[in-house]
Order: sequence, then structure tokens, then C-alpha cells
Amino acid sequence: MPEPTHPPLRKPSRPFYFNTSESLLRIGRQKASNLSELLDALHTCPEDSVFQHTFRTLQEHHFIREGFSNDFGHWSLFACNEPALAEQLASVDVREFTAIEGLRRRMLEIIDQFLQSHPRSGARAAYEPFYFCASDLVVLPTRFVADTLKGFLDGLNQVPVHSIHHHFIEARLRLHRMTNDFSQWLEQEKGLTQAADAIERIDIYTNTMEGVRLQIARIIAESMN
Amino acid sequence: MNPIEDQRATTASLEDSEIAESRGRPAFVERRSRERRASRQLPASVLTPPLPPPAPHMDDYRPIVGQAMLDSLRFLANELKGKTIKMVNSTAVGGGVAEMLNRLVPLLSELEVATHWDVITGGNDFFEVTKAFHNALHGSPYELTKAAQDIFLMYNEQNRERMKFEEELVVIHDPQPLALIRSRAQTASHWVWRCHIDLSNPDPKVWEFLRPFVEQYDAAIFSSQSFARALPIPQYLFYPCIDPLSEKNKELTDAEVQQVCDDFGIDRSRPIVTQVSRFDRLKDPVGVVQAYKLAKKYVDCQLVLAGGGATDDPEGAVVLQEVKDAAGNDPDIIILDLPPWCAFQINAIQRASTMIIQKSLKEGFGLTVTEALWKGKPTIAGAVGGIPNQIIHKLTGVLVHSVEGCAYQIRYLLTHPEFARTIGINGREHVKENFLMTTNVKRWLLLYRILAQAKAQKRKAA
Repeated sequence: MPEPTHPPLRKPSRPFYFNTSESLLRIGRQKASNLSELLDALHTCPEDSVFQHTFRTLQEHHFIREGFSNDFGHWSLFACNEPALAEQLASVDVREFTAIEGLRRRMLEIIDQFLQSHPRSGARAAYEPFYFCASDLVVLPTRFVADTLKGFLDGLNQVPVHSIHHHFIEARLRLHRMTNDFSQWLEQEKGLTQAADAIERIDIYTNTMEGVRLQIARIIAESMN
Repeated sequence: MNPIEDQRATTASLEDSEIAESRGRPAFVERRSRERRASRQLPASVLTPPLPPPAPHMDDYRPIVGQAMLDSLRFLANELKGKTIKMVNSTAVGGGVAEMLNRLVPLLSELEVATHWDVITGGNDFFEVTKAFHNALHGSPYELTKAAQDIFLMYNEQNRERMKFEEELVVIHDPQPLALIRSRAQTASHWVWRCHIDLSNPDPKVWEFLRPFVEQYDAAIFSSQSFARALPIPQYLFYPCIDPLSEKNKELTDAEVQQVCDDFGIDRSRPIVTQVSRFDRLKDPVGVVQAYKLAKKYVDCQLVLAGGGATDDPEGAVVLQEVKDAAGNDPDIIILDLPPWCAFQINAIQRASTMIIQKSLKEGFGLTVTEALWKGKPTIAGAVGGIPNQIIHKLTGVLVHSVEGCAYQIRYLLTHPEFARTIGINGREHVKENFLMTTNVKRWLLLYRILAQAKAQKRKAA
């Protein structure tokens, strides 16, 4: 039986610098006490609030596998008791967006359509208000830099879990492309297109961030073999 | 009075063998447990305060939070090397703020961000006024007089004249030293107000008196989104934190846990449901007894109510009596009125527990919930104050709104151990991510950096 052939690994022209991000939570000026107010506030809140309650909430709850994908969906269920709306909001995958405005429009569409078909739900008081917050982000270097696949795997296994979120999820907003830092480097610098695609397909909503890390590591280990 | 209010000592209507049979345990175990509870006074080790352990160093946290977290802290601190911070509050001992500063200040200094801690001074009249302000800001009715305002301002002025503000970041904790902001004009420092209390429903006159001072700060910090006010300055969220290396939270050996349970007559072979809190109506200890009694119709368990406040607070003694009345003759309710220095014992009781309850009717942040979550315990808590920041319903714990809801969740968690285990694991991770002392250190370093950047940008724009 012939040996499977792999494309020769390229020597990268640039190493992969593992960074991480930390944030400070800023309390916003807006709050919503019912779904209509949520709709209004979501129209006008700053972009970093939308970012906080969607992208960042995944990082803050990276250890939870099920039931928590964004703050709007979570609040719709537990404070407003609207499971249908919660399901729709929770099913929005932040990785389908490379800019916050697109994500905001999608959330607004869902809430607006729901309130049109359930007009009495809009004014019903929520059990607790939704407080809009935002993050002040600071990107920090880690001690890990890789120019080989082995070095990449070592770094991946040791960086803080926030680093995985930074490179794998938030990268879209930085790159404005439907990819992530890991896949981009593996494809561009190592020619590992299949591995890059496989990493991009990992489901972040049925995994903890540690689970995502393990899956990426497994894909890279398979590429090395 | 024996502080261990052992109900079983006064009743024991069933024979040991009958009880043992009903629980499927040997009679001698039942007898020994009963005798232990009946005869045991508080062990000598808890009668006097223990010596405080030495303060931990940053490297001591590595096994808990990991090298990567320490790397981040050192990187952030390195950029601030040589900068200085001043913390100002109103007491050096007692209370959560002093406890937190006792750990935070040495850790920041160890990271070479020299941090000084000053305590304001004042007469009894000052502290009477500030206590009244504190209660009024929590929503209690209060008649603000000109005399009270004058006393507040006079002592702040005295302290302002006495203190120097040479540090780059000045942090004023709570309302007592709020008016020190009048020194701001003479400094180039960043000034931050750290408010540890809930301002969601303040007495309007007291708030209107204090608000102009708050608005002069560069930023305000609150412990929960719901505690904040509409202000023209940036407001940040700093959750309160626990120290995983403190007596209250450090890891214990099984032998240490067993010893404490033996001392207090707690039977580890049966489920233990615990609430740790002062005997205060707002903690609803009577509601906890009622919930336990409802649950006990379906599941076997013991209830431990461990707290204090009944000896130094007349109302606490009344509440303790109410709890005893509600408990009646139930031999499985163990009520412990402990002295304030029993952190180690509380730690052991929490670790021995099958689940923890914090059925508060009103709450600040609820650090007892944080402690329970850190120990990986499935936790049932009232959805009040800062508790919903910690307990995400059915994911990191369960939130309840009534005695009946609490009873149901006791039954559910005792009969669904896998679910209980999962929320326990999630709860511990939630604390690790958000509510540990190391995260608190990180927030201060981030805040300093963000304020400095904002000031630099403002200067550039100007």
C-alpha cells in the first residue's frame, strides 16, 4: 500500500507570535427592562457593547459547553422567558461576521421580527434589567513564538485560554476575513490548507474553549504525522 | 450558652437502632454521632483567634491560576514599573475592604508597582455620620442635616491637609473619604473612586450631596452593573474577589475536614446542606430551615447553619432564637454560632457539604457564594444583589426566589448528582476566571494602563 503523500512543509517567512488579550469591563449608559427597550438600546449602543455581549461573553464563559452563546439570547430566556427568541439569538454564530455592524443588524432583525409577531412581549417587564457593558481591551504578548509546527503545537498547548479566543474567534474582526489567525498562518506559511480548513470548521458552540484547543492540537498533530 | 445549638441533645425520640435502620447504617455509628453532638463544646482551637498566616507571594498562586496568568500580570506590571498607587479607606482592620487591601497591596508592590495604603482618621461623630450615609445609600430613610454635612466635610478636610497625594494613581474606597478629591487640583494623579456598596436605590438627598464629589473623579468602579448610577465619568466593573490561599479558601486535607466535622458533630456519611451566614433576617435562615423541612419529606439530609453575629448584635440573637424555634426538635439541624475568626472551620464545613445554600433576600455581592463555588460545590442562592453575576442559572449554580423553589432545588440536586457535579465544576471555573485575587490584581493593572492611555490621548488631542 503506498504511503500517503503530504506536501513538503514550507519554512515560514514569518513566525507565529502567540498573543493574548485581557479586558476591563466598562458599565454602559444604557439598560433595558423589556424586549422593546433592548431593541432600542441595541440600535444605539456603541459597537464595543455589541462586541462585549457577543464575542467577549464567549471568552468570559469559555468553560461552559452548552446553553450560553451570547448575552442577548441568555437574557431573553432567563429574564424574559422567551425561549423561541432565545433560541434564535443563541443560534447566531459570531464567526459569520467580520464586522460588528453586520452582527448588530442580524440581532436587530431577529428581535424586530419576533416583536412583530409577538407584539405583547415587547412591553412585558423582564425579571431583571439588561445592563449594556463594553470592554476596554489590551493585547499582551505571551512567551511563545513558533516557526515550526512542533513549536506551534507547544505554544498552543501552553498559552492561556484567552489566547485561543483571541486568535481563533476575535481574529475575524481584525482580519476582516472569514478565517482565524491559526488557519491563516498554517495555510500561508506552512501550506497546510486542509488543516487550516478543518480548524476553521470547529464548532465553538458545542465545545468549551479548552475543547477547541484540544481539537486544534489534534488536527495539527495529525498534519505532523 | 453552648454555641453549638444541638437539637439532638435535647430530643432523641427515636432509638438509635430505629434511626440507624431507617438510614441503613449501623446503630453504633448513629449512637456515636449523637453522643458527639450532645457532649461537644466548641473545640479549644476556635475559642481564641489564631495567629494570622504569612501573606502569600505571587508565585504561590502559580499552581492555582497557572504560569500564563502570572506572565500576564508581570507583563502588565512591567510596563508600570516604578509607578505608584495610593489606596485610601476608612479602616485598617475588619470588613471586606480592609481584608482585600491586606492582600492586594503587598501583591501589587511585589510586582514593583509600589502601593501605599492610607487610612483616614475621624472622631465618633464622623463615623456615626458616615455609617448613616452608608445605610442611606443602601436605601434606608435618612434626614440629611447641615450638621452632618459639616462633620463629613470637616473630617475630610482634616485628612486632606494631613495626607500627601504624590502617587500616580489615587484610589479612594467608599464614601467616607470621598471629599479628598478636593486635592486633585494640586496633583497630576489619576483619581478613581472604588465604591463597594450598592447605589441602585440611594436616599436622594445623600446621593445629591455626594454626587458632585464623585463626578470629579477620572473613573468610578462598582461591584456589579446593577449597583452603578448614571454618571458623566467612565464606570468600570470590578467584581469583589476571594483569596484562594486564605484560611477560608485554601485547600484542606480530608483529615482536616473530618476533624472539624467530628468537632461539630456533622455526619459526613449523609448529605450535608449548608448555609454560611450571619444570623440576619436578610440572609433568611428561617427560610432555609423551612426549605430543608420541605425537602426532607423526600430526601435524607442534614442542615448546617453556620454563622455568627448572635453574640455581638442584639438583633442577631433574636434571629438565632427564631431559627432555633423554626428548627424545633429536628436532630439533623445543626446550628453553629461561631466566633469571627473561624475561617478555617468554615472552610472545612463548606468542603464537607454536599451543597451550599445562600438564600439571601437582599445581598451585596455575596462572597459566601463565591467561596462555595470555588470549592466546587453545587450552590443554590437567592437571585438578589451581585449573586446573579456569580450564578448563571443552571450553569454555574441555581437561582431561587422562594422557600418552595429552594426546597425543590435541594431535592433535585441530591437526586441528580451528575448535574450537581457539572454546575459545581462550572462554578469553580467561573470563580477562577472572574473572582480570584489574581484577577483583581490584573484589573488594577489594566485600569492604570487604560487611564494613562486615555490621558495621553486627551493631551495629544489638545
